[in-house]
Amino acid sequence: MKPLFRPLAGALFAAALAAGPAFAAKDVTFAVASTFTTTDPYDANDTLSQAMAKSFYEGLFGFDKDMKLIPVLAESYDVSKDGLVYTIKLRKGVKFHDGTDFKADAVKANFDRVTNPDNKLKRYGLYNNIGKTEVVDDYTARITLKSPFSAFVNQLAHPSGVMISPAALKQWGNKDIAFHPVGTGPFKFVEWKATDYLKVAKFDGYWKKGYPRVDAITWKPVVDNNTRAAVMQTGEAQFTYPVPPEMAEVLKAKPDLDIVAAPSIIERYLSMNTQQKPFDNPKVRQAINYAINKDAVAKVAFGGYATPADAIVPAGVEYSVQTGVWPHDIAKAKQLLAEAGYPNGFETELWSAYNHTIAQKVTQVLQQQLQQVGIRTKITLLEAGQRVEKVESWQDPATAPVRLYYVGWSSSTGEADWALRPLLASESWPPKLFNTAYYKSEAVDGAIRKALLTTDKAEKAKLYKEAQETIYRDAPWAPLVVEKVLSANNKKLTGVYTMPDGSFNFTEIDLK
Amino acid sequence: MLQYIAKRLLGLVPTLLLVGILVFLLVHLLPGDPARLAAGPDATPETVQLVRKDLGLDLPLPQQFVRFVGGALTGDFGRSIRTKRPVATEIGERFAPTFWLTVWAMAWSVTVGMGIGILSAVWRNRWPDRLGMTLAVSGISFPAFALGMVLMQAFAVQLNWLPTVGADSWRHYVLPSLTLGAAVAAIMARFTRSSFVDILQEDFIRTARAKGLSEPVVVAKHGLRNALIPVVTMMGLQFGFLLGGSIVVEVVFNWPGMGRLLVDAVDMRDYPVIQALVLLFSLEFILINLVVDVLYGLINPTIRYR
Repeated sequence: MKPLFRPLAGALFAAALAAGPAFAAKDVTFAVASTFTTTDPYDANDTLSQAMAKSFYEGLFGFDKDMKLIPVLAESYDVSKDGLVYTIKLRKGVKFHDGTDFKADAVKANFDRVTNPDNKLKRYGLYNNIGKTEVVDDYTARITLKSPFSAFVNQLAHPSGVMISPAALKQWGNKDIAFHPVGTGPFKFVEWKATDYLKVAKFDGYWKKGYPRVDAITWKPVVDNNTRAAVMQTGEAQFTYPVPPEMAEVLKAKPDLDIVAAPSIIERYLSMNTQQKPFDNPKVRQAINYAINKDAVAKVAFGGYATPADAIVPAGVEYSVQTGVWPHDIAKAKQLLAEAGYPNGFETELWSAYNHTIAQKVTQVLQQQLQQVGIRTKITLLEAGQRVEKVESWQDPATAPVRLYYVGWSSSTGEADWALRPLLASESWPPKLFNTAYYKSEAVDGAIRKALLTTDKAEKAKLYKEAQETIYRDAPWAPLVVEKVLSANNKKLTGVYTMPDGSFNFTEIDLK
Repeated sequence: MLQYIAKRLLGLVPTLLLVGILVFLLVHLLPGDPARLAAGPDATPETVQLVRKDLGLDLPLPQQFVRFVGGALTGDFGRSIRTKRPVATEIGERFAPTFWLTVWAMAWSVTVGMGIGILSAVWRNRWPDRLGMTLAVSGISFPAFALGMVLMQAFAVQLNWLPTVGADSWRHYVLPSLTLGAAVAAIMARFTRSSFVDILQEDFIRTARAKGLSEPVVVAKHGLRNALIPVVTMMGLQFGFLLGGSIVVEVVFNWPGMGRLLVDAVDMRDYPVIQALVLLFSLEFILINLVVDVLYGLINPTIRYR
């Protein structure tokens, strides 16, 4: 048998060699940090699943790599004077992967789906401000809101606001669409092996001519940090995010890899329960702000891949105001504590919303720095379930056990409302949203409310400035750092960016 | 014998029921609200309520239990809270990779472990023993994640002989099974050695030697059989543990197995998946114990089943 086959195998091998370069498929593998929960952006709550879904889905609007709002499937929009009616002109000549045309009925089908509580979608809360969606003509859709919401276009640009083929929705139904995604994006869905990878391949009928420039992307969840670094070194993956700071140096030394540290809108802060002693006293809160050396936090805990926070709403989010880094001044901190009646400091709890190593380092640095002004803290790193129980769904604000709380946030709509309202408006005390400082200020509440009602940009900017300056003075938080997003890519790979919110932009992806 | 096996299999039912009740209660005692976790960090209370309804978590606990038992009896373990896929599918996809990894790890580690154990016992307190036991102690004390990372760094990253992650071909199995089996091999070596040392001092061994049998025959025929009983017990236990999916090894090698599924499930309070996994692990243990009991009879025909 063997001798008979050998020539044939040889010939095949030669043929493969000859054909190889000409047909070399441009396949790219992304190594990401956790498994995907779903392919349906309306039912996803993690940035990663939504970022992956951008392979096959596009929204009416979107963000470019710097988080600037751009029209995608929409061409333009108009808002009525009262801020209630949005008329959206749609791009022509766009096809879904199943061959159907993208028209206004798709807009209606998708928003009707998410706003119907019977569909029980996780993004219901984000879209339930939509009153009704109408088809004006094939390429014009009209959305009427229940109440004016001036950040609405940003909301449409949110990675969950995608256009799913109405035909596919009808065929697969509300639940199973997650296993058969059909969109207008540059790649078609191929296969999702939940345990191993999700694969997408180039969509030939993509509306943007000449795109995409690669043939396929394999999204591979690799949970362990070291393993993710290893697959980059072996060339099994061409892009990875996040790169832990301690692995950055190792990967930097590799000649075929690039490490990219990009600015983010992920802000880490320490919230203080303003309804409880001693944090009800603004002097104590200011003292804590003076006591913390933000530079040290950035250097020690984040390996330098973070910058000291200089704002309540980080730069990069629309309407952010730089109030400046709170100075580090131990003498001043001690003096303020004495004035507040705590010359010898006090004891309190310091909780972290995460239990990973970076959070461990941050809390240790904070503990050591607060110790210097006499504030003795007991650290607890909360596991996800504990966090939900003890912080996020605590029913009675008066008895909330949270005191000092280390946590972070990134505004997924890229503008100030979603960076302020869920965290600092008095309507957002847990269990409703995440005002873990239990902060309440008439001025801030008023500014946030008024800003949503006006569509005038200058007016909005003024209101948000007012809110941020008030918060800075009241100091319900000690803003700590703004993270940098750290990714690694093979030098042959271009056009893949980690966005400021930790999502990805890969419209320009190419492999040399 | 068949009657014995049938009896043991029947005995499975009450045990599993008991485990089922315990698991159900324990899982619901875990702190944290799965609806809140599933709804995600920026969900409103209305959304959380929708998610809760969607997951059937708004029902009273006894009713949820009846649903769980009723479903389990018909083989329906519900849908995962995290991915909304049927639990049976979630586990089914991951069972084979964990199973084969376990089989390969056990195969090499039992062979090598018993080999080292026998050699150490025969040349007790001489250099093969010292060497063997040094290896065994290092095997037990070297943490699996460190070993996995060292192996990966050496053979995948530096030498590029083997792939890093995935479970597609036999080459993917080499490093994880080495890592997984190291501790087992070490335990097997120590167990075999001590069991053998005891047996080699027994009267019947002296008799066999006195008969003029050659040493290899004494060791292999008279010693091995009798020394095997405790070793097989240990083997069964280890097999059961590994079948549960080694969390550490599966995380390091990104193995698409049940250990990682369990971690993900506990993280998200994915009740249906946790319940089904624990039931499965219990079932595996019971079955392995049964196999071990049957093996006793094959190894030592004087053992009788009743």
